[in-house]
Amino acid sequence: MKSPALTLYLAVALGAAFGGAGRFWMSGAVTRLVGETFPWGTLAVNVLGSGVLAFFATVTGPGGRAFAPGPVRVFVGVGLCGAFTTFSTFSLETLNLVREGETARAVGNIGANLFLCLAGAWLGFTLAGVINQR
Amino acid sequence: MTVPRDAYLLRIFLGENDRYGGRPLYEAIVLKAREMHLAGATVLRGLEGFGHSSRLHTAKLLRLSEDLPIVVEIVDSVEKIEGFLAAAEEMMASGLVTLEKVTVLQYGAP
Repeated sequence: MKSPALTLYLAVALGAAFGGAGRFWMSGAVTRLVGETFPWGTLAVNVLGSGVLAFFATVTGPGGRAFAPGPVRVFVGVGLCGAFTTFSTFSLETLNLVREGETARAVGNIGANLFLCLAGAWLGFTLAGVINQR
Repeated sequence: MTVPRDAYLLRIFLGENDRYGGRPLYEAIVLKAREMHLAGATVLRGLEGFGHSSRLHTAKLLRLSEDLPIVVEIVDSVEKIEGFLAAAEEMMASGLVTLEKVTVLQYGAP
């Protein structure tokens, strides 16, 4: 018999595999495209991940349009979005900027991550709200 | 091992990810240098740089830090260096080698 807990862990692991690989690809592509001296890649994955998570949670939440069973919710929410976004890389890269005396860019990085991630979450939430009301 | 006063400095520029014979290329180069009884070799790891691909490698961004620059420096007589270069050539699939004349002041050699 398959234990429900095992199913959830497998769903998280699978989501994290895709999310982590997706982050590796996207942060690389954005960094090469936008600039290689500021952590644009990390900012981009954090904003996108925040938006997707808020959208998904709102659409599948109570009163949402779509029903998603537990394993699907943890696949997307914990695994996919969790591995796609990264607070640890943000922290390390901000620390690196501070250590290299780039204080203004470090503060900018903190502000941009905080503000744009919340804005992304708000956008995802609002978009999902429109779908929920249809 | 004494190095003549008029010697050569060999500098090999490569990346952390370059490999030879199942080990990092810089390590293979150092082991080869030791096997050929060269006077010494030093491996330096760079903080930032770019090569012929013009892709920036930097320790500052985690995503760009997986292939940081490596420099191997070897100082020895011109004969030893030339002999080593001939042997090392087959190991170098990519990378850059520079050679310059240097004056050696050696301390504490037996």
